[in-house]
Amino acid sequence: MRVLVVEDEARLAENIARSLRESAGYAVDVAADGQEGLFLAESNPYDVVLLDLMLPKLDGMELLGRIRQAGQHTPVLVLTARDDKDSVVALLNAGADDYLTKPFDLGELLARTKALIRRGKGQPSPVVVIGDLELNTVNRTVQRGGKPITLTAMEYRVLEYLVHRPRAVVSKTELLEHLYDYNWEKFSNVIEVYISGLRRKLNQGSSRQLIRTLRGQGYMLQD
Amino acid sequence: MADMRRDSIQRRLIASVLLSQIILTAGLVVIGVLVTYWRLISTLDTSMQAHATSVAVLVRYTEDATGHVYFDNSLLPESIDPLHPDQFTVWADRTGFLTRSEDWPDGLQFQPGPSEHWNFTWAGVPYHAVRLNHIPILDREEGAAFHPQTLTIVYASPLVRIQHQVKVAGGSIALASLLLLGATTGLASWRIRRSLLPLQSLARQAALVSTQSWKLQPPREAEQIEELRPLTDSMTQMLARLEYSFKQQREFVGNAAHELKTPVAVLKSTLQSLVQRPRSSEEYCAGVQASLQDLDRLEQLLQWMLRLARAEQWAQNAQGRNLDLIDLNSTCEEAVERIRALAESRHTTIHLVTNGPVPIRADPEDLQLVWTNLLENAVRYSPEGTSVEIAVAREGDHAQVSFQDHGVGIAAADLPKIFERFYRGDHSRARATGGFGLGLAIAKALVEAYGGSIAAVSSPGKGTRMTVELPVPKP
Repeated sequence: MRVLVVEDEARLAENIARSLRESAGYAVDVAADGQEGLFLAESNPYDVVLLDLMLPKLDGMELLGRIRQAGQHTPVLVLTARDDKDSVVALLNAGADDYLTKPFDLGELLARTKALIRRGKGQPSPVVVIGDLELNTVNRTVQRGGKPITLTAMEYRVLEYLVHRPRAVVSKTELLEHLYDYNWEKFSNVIEVYISGLRRKLNQGSSRQLIRTLRGQGYMLQD
Repeated sequence: MADMRRDSIQRRLIASVLLSQIILTAGLVVIGVLVTYWRLISTLDTSMQAHATSVAVLVRYTEDATGHVYFDNSLLPESIDPLHPDQFTVWADRTGFLTRSEDWPDGLQFQPGPSEHWNFTWAGVPYHAVRLNHIPILDREEGAAFHPQTLTIVYASPLVRIQHQVKVAGGSIALASLLLLGATTGLASWRIRRSLLPLQSLARQAALVSTQSWKLQPPREAEQIEELRPLTDSMTQMLARLEYSFKQQREFVGNAAHELKTPVAVLKSTLQSLVQRPRSSEEYCAGVQASLQDLDRLEQLLQWMLRLARAEQWAQNAQGRNLDLIDLNSTCEEAVERIRALAESRHTTIHLVTNGPVPIRADPEDLQLVWTNLLENAVRYSPEGTSVEIAVAREGDHAQVSFQDHGVGIAAADLPKIFERFYRGDHSRARATGGFGLGLAIAKALVEAYGGSIAAVSSPGKGTRMTVELPVPKP
């Protein structure tokens, strides 16, 4: 999963990004002002956007309005210092999906971010079950047929993304875009490595192949 | 407070009315009694003289030619008061004591003497008496050979009836006055209560004033009363002042809370991400360092807020401070010294242009704080290698200090807002330069505390000029 954090307070942005990377294993891009945020949001397919309201150059509300006008469905979580009813109503009406008032709890920020991603992918349950595969997005564990499977962080991230797009063809580029921050091109040939690693671990004690390769198109998770 | 004696205007007014009415009543009774007594006595006097004359008529000469006289008591006049007999005694000037009334009290002695009126009491009965001299004896035939005699008569009449009449008159005057007193006091207290009613309705209106609704609407009846006008006026003014400072305080608290949220969020997230998972001691160390930096910034913000609060409070109590005359130029020089290090680090030069000493009444610390804030802004928002000019000039009854920078300038739309608390034209730049958006608000509060004004003129791309005007004492 890939997250955009638009926050001008550099230390806060850094802390949020670090927490998302370490605790959820997400790829995180940080924008320090509204213009940069808008540019990144328009040019990358983020799974969620964390948006501060008081931003230099382009106000958070304005940015929100622009990406909603452009028809983007990416869930947006607004970080605001104002918690009065009027401003909350205004930001929800402007297209925000959720909000958190500063100072917030990083744990809550993480939980809300995950919830927004799940809802964005039409997958409301934190435990995703596909056939005999079970993936818990809260404590990041994977089981197949009741047996726990140990994955590396990157393998988990690949599987987590695929699990949220079941029975759909996911291209290598899509995977890269959602698993790495903006310099993902460097990593273009590592996807195959992770996929083969995943296949090997998931297929232990089972003959049925979970991840299909569609030559020239991408990968598909099937049950 | 519980045992404090309560007083009431109504009660006081009624008491004053009552007191004056009582004095009036007492005066009326005394005057009425005295007038009645005097009139009755003078009437009595007249009738007594007439009676005495009637008694004198009863004195006759004997038929011989000796000139002796005798008293013929067959035709005695009736007493003035039939219930209380009059008394009289008669002397002839040559023959001496002649006669006295039948029931003349034993032991009562009078001697002939000059004419007079007097009162006396005998055996518990009060009398009024007159003594008449030289009353001629009318019964004298023409050509009698003897010298005629004259009479001296003391005529006394009991005052019992008059005393009774005076008492009755005094009593009725007193009764009538008391009745009137009761009626007028009742009327007066009703009027007083009614005329104090506007005070109560004013109090009811005043009770409606709250932090939600500061408007005092003095009731019409209170507004029409001249004595209440100063009270309602000063209440309205007081409420306006209170409302202003209350709003200012609330706004300040709101702003402050809002501004504190971000630095607190930074600190909290730093610490939370530190404990999210086990870390190496180097990581912990770095995290604690970062938290200390966050705290530093928080502390700085608090200090600026306190400085602003103090400046604004100062501004409210500015009048009535005893201030020394100081030289405006030296405060500017001091401010330049304070900013020198910052200016040098940015390769900015500061030119201070003065034109003779400008004496002013002020606390030098206050002015230095104003100049430092303005100068720091000018230096921070100027590109490196440019210059900032300060000009001090005196024009008539005010001094002018202007700060010209050659920075990016301020957009016309933002100009009116720059003196607002926590206003930052450009967030990223303000953050980068470490500002909190309070320097100009503090400068404005202090300048206004000295009765001065501050204004900014800016042409985007060319620079900004901040001008402070302060009143100076006449030379």
